[in-house]
Amino acid sequence: MRIYALAVYLFLYIPIGIIALFSFNAGKHASQFTGFSLQWYGKALGNPFVTEAFQTSLIVAAVSALLATVFGTMAALALQSVKGRLRVAFDALIYVAVMVPGIVIGIATLIALVTVFDWLNPTLAALWPVADAAPQLSLGYGSLIAAHGLFSMALVIIIVRARIAGMDRSLIEASADLGATPWGTFRQVTLPQIFPGILAGFLLAFTFSFDDFIIAFFVAGSQTTLPIYVFSSIRRGVTPEINAIGSMVLAVSLILLITAQLVLRRDRKA
Amino acid sequence: MTDRNDTISREMFIAELMRYRKGSVTRRHFLGVTGLGLATTVLGSAVPGLRGAAWAQADIGDRVVLASWPNYHDPANFEAFQTATGAAVDLSVFGSNEEMLAKLQAGGSGWDVFVPTNYTISTYVAEDLIEALDLSRIPNYDLASFDPRFAEPGTVDGVVYAVSRNWGTTGYAVNTAQTGGKKLTSWKEFWDITRAEFSGRTMVHDYQLTTIGNALKYFGYSFNSIDPKELADAEKLLLEVKPHLFAINSDYQPSMRSGDAWMTMCWTGDGKQLHRDIPEIEYVLGSEGGELWSDFLAIPKGAPHLDAAYALINYLLDPAVNVKEVLFHGYPVADKRVDALLPPEILNDPIMYPAADLLSPLEFGAAVTLTDPGRAELMARFKSA
Amino acid sequence: MLVLPLVVVFVFSFGERGPAGGYVPAFTFDNFLNLGTRWAAFKNTLVLAPVGTLACLLIAYPLAYFLAIRAGDRWKTLLLILVIVPFWTSILIRSYAWIFLLGGQGLPALLDSLGLGNPRLINTPFAVLVGIVYGYLPLMVFPIYVSLERLDKRLLEASSDLGCPPARTFLNVTLPLSMAGVATGCMLVFILLMGEFLIPAMLGGGKVFFVGNALVDLFLQSRNWAFGSAVAVALVLVMLVTVTAYMRATRRWAGGRDDVSLM
Repeated sequence: MRIYALAVYLFLYIPIGIIALFSFNAGKHASQFTGFSLQWYGKALGNPFVTEAFQTSLIVAAVSALLATVFGTMAALALQSVKGRLRVAFDALIYVAVMVPGIVIGIATLIALVTVFDWLNPTLAALWPVADAAPQLSLGYGSLIAAHGLFSMALVIIIVRARIAGMDRSLIEASADLGATPWGTFRQVTLPQIFPGILAGFLLAFTFSFDDFIIAFFVAGSQTTLPIYVFSSIRRGVTPEINAIGSMVLAVSLILLITAQLVLRRDRKA
Repeated sequence: MTDRNDTISREMFIAELMRYRKGSVTRRHFLGVTGLGLATTVLGSAVPGLRGAAWAQADIGDRVVLASWPNYHDPANFEAFQTATGAAVDLSVFGSNEEMLAKLQAGGSGWDVFVPTNYTISTYVAEDLIEALDLSRIPNYDLASFDPRFAEPGTVDGVVYAVSRNWGTTGYAVNTAQTGGKKLTSWKEFWDITRAEFSGRTMVHDYQLTTIGNALKYFGYSFNSIDPKELADAEKLLLEVKPHLFAINSDYQPSMRSGDAWMTMCWTGDGKQLHRDIPEIEYVLGSEGGELWSDFLAIPKGAPHLDAAYALINYLLDPAVNVKEVLFHGYPVADKRVDALLPPEILNDPIMYPAADLLSPLEFGAAVTLTDPGRAELMARFKSA
Repeated sequence: MLVLPLVVVFVFSFGERGPAGGYVPAFTFDNFLNLGTRWAAFKNTLVLAPVGTLACLLIAYPLAYFLAIRAGDRWKTLLLILVIVPFWTSILIRSYAWIFLLGGQGLPALLDSLGLGNPRLINTPFAVLVGIVYGYLPLMVFPIYVSLERLDKRLLEASSDLGCPPARTFLNVTLPLSMAGVATGCMLVFILLMGEFLIPAMLGGGKVFFVGNALVDLFLQSRNWAFGSAVAVALVLVMLVTVTAYMRATRRWAGGRDDVSLM
């Protein structure tokens, strides 16, 4: 059993070890180790396109996760009060939405937005008071956030709904009986109870968006997210700079995970 | 007008660059000596007050986005461009002209400069995706010094949309260490050996023009055929060959270098780069023919950094810069001024400048192949088979 | 709002390809009649997605079992975190590492030096499978771990106290009680695999083709949006049918318990 676990961990960590090892390569190629050097870390950090792609990814992930969480939670709460046939229909829709692969969401957002822009841009240009100065709508932040938000919303609905289902409903009734307003009940009773679900949904949505390549590949337009930057670097011919980026992202998330773990542990002891 | 460009050597350029970096000379001096600032001088004196004069020294922004092909640019030149102008070059590479067209058609590509091949330009013009060039902003473009055969497709209906970058051929590279000394000379042998001794070791482009075109050549058809019957023959061959391929990928250098692949469809410069580093990899032009092409520098409609786009094109056309590009990527250029700077062993290189009898059966790609649904669907079927 | 994109794709799937690519409105079933030309891609996906899911399950279950039941409390959290950590590097970079490992200079060279032959691994279905297992293993380990962790350990003790051999305890007690986690993990991995593009693109060399690759090709190369939409609609339909059938089956198997959830 132990040996088996060890083998699986080796399987998981050998590729990562290789990535990390080559990030310290002095040479230019990702397949021949020629000496130790930290130069690729300097290159990656000094590369404006890397830092900008990182920034784009962060913004898109934060905004789309926020939107998905707010709308997803609202939808989950609203669905609570829907009963009967309509409820069945809504459930079926969510079921379908969860199953739609990311790639189809990417395609759908692409063709929907391009069609709308094709129609809207000439209209805008015709209506704009100053000739040739009308803004041109095109793919970019908006489409990235929309597509990611759409994809994550279904996840958030499901997670939050599971939490609502496990909630103690008698508390809400008690709160209403004691004369609290619906808003007050929501804020002081419902929200604290479902909050872990909302947080989990947000984190999942954030992680998904930050890591997503395929949807962004279709709808990113002129924006470059970190995965898209990595993809085009791999196509351009890999230098250890990519390994350095990967190792840094890994190191940062490791530190975050471990800190979170330590904080949790201290909380538990206290 | 080009005297100053011609006189600066590679070493001198580097030396000047170093001096500039160390701060011992001013940027004005650096631009002047290297020819980068030539436009300023010429335009400034010839056409006073022209706005074009502003870009070379004025702020062109901190970036320029370039869409191009694999192994096609010397990174050192981009670094020098950034040092001189302050604009960093963001390069993304593509595997086919179709991929570039798809990205531009979807809108919002964000590119400033792209590198289309001869046969695509008329379609870009028809689709209103390409900017007509303001040649006054590209003083390094001297039409008279370009071979019209390679430079002309950049002009559509008398308007210049694209300026010549390189030309070349599409043949194949083969690792002769694996053939037992046998010399390959034709596309027929390429496809036949793939189904025999080279099974699992051959790569073809992820690019309809060359992959279908060179399959058509097996039967002696035109490289550009859109005849359904001839395409059906090509499809049959491709489907038969598919299980024997190592991969379908337009970036074949890594696999050829690692030894995983033994033979690949190949463009001139890749053939030159591979042969330079691994002498047993040879570049072959199929005796039946194949593709002769020329690439261009162009600006897509809606380029976000127009000043930087013009500056980059002008920079890449500077013979002193272009010579270094050629030494790096191994593709010939159609510019006489550059040839004058190239060492004789390059100008006599059989990979870069094939013998006339090998060149004569080659065909330029035809515009119709880019938009023909039959070829697009055939390629997609081949890949998904 | 959730189904709006699907509606758009559905509408487009009845259109036609424009002369230079793109989309022209029309009403035709040609795109659907043409789906047969992508049969190979659907077949590949429908074979490799379940096989990949199964491979993930077979490798993940013992690990989850070890973590939940055998591992000491002190190490448990750390070991669990170690399973998720690889998930935090881009799948692109991780797949890239496998290109090197499975390429001629990697594993095959190692096997060769051990005298075990020199197989070609990269650009084969096997390579894609390795990539899939590597990419999705954590997603499978997690739900199984959670269901095993929740399991009342006294049941296991009771079973062994009553003289039941370990193998039977596992088959009769542990396995049935962890079915919810297994079902969830399988569903998660299967759904993601059906839309996979990157792993076959990177480790399959354009030779192992999923529906996702066909879609990217149709939209980003041959620019046939109408046909691409039809392929997308077909993919969603295939998924609906298989996943619904799967859920029915697991529900019946799990004895009518309604705890097969997605998360």
